[in-house]
Amino acid sequence: MPGQLLDGFVRGLVYVAIALGLTIVFGMLRLVNFAHGAFYAIGAYVGLIVAERWGLGAGLIVAPIAVALFAVVFDRVLLRFFYDREPTSQILVTFGVAIVVQESLRLIFGGTTRSYPIPAALAVPVNLGFTQYPAYRIAFAAGIVAIVLLVWFFIRYTNYGLIVRAGVRDRTMVQLLGGNVSLASTIVFALGAGLAGLVGAAASPIYSVDPDIGFSFLVPSFVVVVIGGLGSFWGAVLGGLIVGELQSVTTLVFPAASDVVIYLAMALVLLVRPSGLLGETEVIRG
Amino acid sequence: MDARALQPTRAQFIAGSLAVSGASVFSTINVIAQPTKTLVVGLNVPQTGPYSDQGTDQLRAYRLAIGEINAKGGVMGMQILESVGDDQTKAPVAVENARRMIERDGAVMITGGSSTGTAIAVSGLCQEKKTIFMATLTHGDETTDIDCHYHTFRRYNDAHMSAQALAKTLLAKYGTGRWFHITADYSWGHSVFDNLTSVVEPKGAKTVANVLMPLGTTDFSSALSQAQAAKPDVLVITEFGKDMVNALNQAAQFGLTKTAKILVPLADEYMAKGAGDNFDNVVTTAPFYFKYQYEKYPEAKAFVDAFVKKYGTPPSNGAECAYVDMYQWKGGIERAGSLDPKAFIGKMEGYHFNATKGPEYWRAWDHQGINTVMVLEGVPVAGREDPFAYAKVLEVHDGDAVSITQAASKCKIEDS
Repeated sequence: MPGQLLDGFVRGLVYVAIALGLTIVFGMLRLVNFAHGAFYAIGAYVGLIVAERWGLGAGLIVAPIAVALFAVVFDRVLLRFFYDREPTSQILVTFGVAIVVQESLRLIFGGTTRSYPIPAALAVPVNLGFTQYPAYRIAFAAGIVAIVLLVWFFIRYTNYGLIVRAGVRDRTMVQLLGGNVSLASTIVFALGAGLAGLVGAAASPIYSVDPDIGFSFLVPSFVVVVIGGLGSFWGAVLGGLIVGELQSVTTLVFPAASDVVIYLAMALVLLVRPSGLLGETEVIRG
Repeated sequence: MDARALQPTRAQFIAGSLAVSGASVFSTINVIAQPTKTLVVGLNVPQTGPYSDQGTDQLRAYRLAIGEINAKGGVMGMQILESVGDDQTKAPVAVENARRMIERDGAVMITGGSSTGTAIAVSGLCQEKKTIFMATLTHGDETTDIDCHYHTFRRYNDAHMSAQALAKTLLAKYGTGRWFHITADYSWGHSVFDNLTSVVEPKGAKTVANVLMPLGTTDFSSALSQAQAAKPDVLVITEFGKDMVNALNQAAQFGLTKTAKILVPLADEYMAKGAGDNFDNVVTTAPFYFKYQYEKYPEAKAFVDAFVKKYGTPPSNGAECAYVDMYQWKGGIERAGSLDPKAFIGKMEGYHFNATKGPEYWRAWDHQGINTVMVLEGVPVAGREDPFAYAKVLEVHDGDAVSITQAASKCKIEDS
């Protein structure tokens, strides 16, 4: 059982890192971004290509930067025209981009499943006393925890974070006060995307890479955000860990339901607390 | 806009009706005047989802066969046209695709499938529609056992054949001991598990657990944590496609490939390539392995050479089955001299032939292809001449010796 709980925690962190990008973008821009899974997929492929030539470390640096740049172009060229449109248009345009990205990846790299090896030092299990656990997953988990804290620090303690939090509350007022909300929006969008790209590159030695991989993480990440509360930073963290633990423990007792259980949890949360466990404005408080 | 503007005047209505009737009359005349020069086949394979590598490779093989057949004059002078669908390895999608192919595109034969779940569903529809179904990559027993149908043929080995073929190797190489299973939770996985346990348990193997994982699982860590705690002698990973690649790679990260012997009851070139060195020493079965048949049979050599020339990569075993199935369908139609399914089936049942792997035949009472089953053992990447040359052949079993008997089978095929 302790092994299962640890496993649920690590698995949950993958969801946390992806959902965090989704939720901060929603919090700041009120944008429901269905292209977020595509950012993960681009990160995975960029990470794969770079890692094959220059090692995993290089892949982890290049992937988030490349994805963040892609997101900036996407935002400036297309998305900004949809900021003030109704959510349906935003969903349609981001969903459309997600499909374009997925099929472009298939066109460029083919549909074949690809995987890249873990560095030898991390390819062995570590004895934790109560269980043997893969060293790479432990390093991955530590990295995600550090990144979550960094993002929180950025939003809570930097001037940009202040503009972001104020922008969420009253965009017009921040602009009148001289804050560059537009730039802050772009930075937030790039940050969320870069985070997904980083997770894509870091998680690919665990989960292999194929053009459909983005969508397979997108749906659970939305569940995480809904459980935690749309726009809530710590809600995404809590939601991700709940989903990870639920899946892991369900696999122990009734594996056939391990996919379904997260949707049941989401339905339950929506019934009892429609705004999610931690509401929707937590990001403002940091 | 005024609502009345949308309503046609009486004159417009009559003119429109005349135009429609005229068009239908002339189109009918057109069909009668021109004999059918083409026929449509439905290629229903996953191009997305967990089995997309396998589906895409089958599609390549179908297209190679269709191109060759059309270049040599087609089927009884008719050129083959394709209607393609992505079944996503989902039974409802596969059925909808097949329905569209038959009803809208007039497909006279459906082929494809990379899962027993989709194959059984499409087989049921084809029986209802009285349309031939050449099931390709389906390994679960059901396709030609309890769910067999008059209009369905399956050449690919089934789970019973694999388990029987593996029996000797399993007991010699794996011993009895404690067995832990991670199994895909649908008809194929259940079929393989039942067959394997029925072979090894009577000899003393103890099944510790069977963790059923949903199709399309990306993270097997929960099941692998359980496996690790159970300390099994043998870990059986009954997963296929991308799911198997993820399960095996993650098993290696948990150290299980070092502490337990790994058995993957069915594999192909894409899975072995994806698993890389983690496939070293893994025992598996396959109906075809391009390296082996290439050396032995000129027909296999011709097929593999043509495939490599066209696509730059060797065919997987599912692709080989797809290629042969297309030719088998063509041969059956030509022997029958008709597109009538009943005449075709009459010419297929009990038909003996040589395709790419020596003598084989279609068994009449369940429409199962009876051909050889290979037991293979994975080799490390450094030992592969080609990234797809993943194994060495341990044994080759005669199909008749390992297939289910009529007395044991639950297949009761319809009369028509």
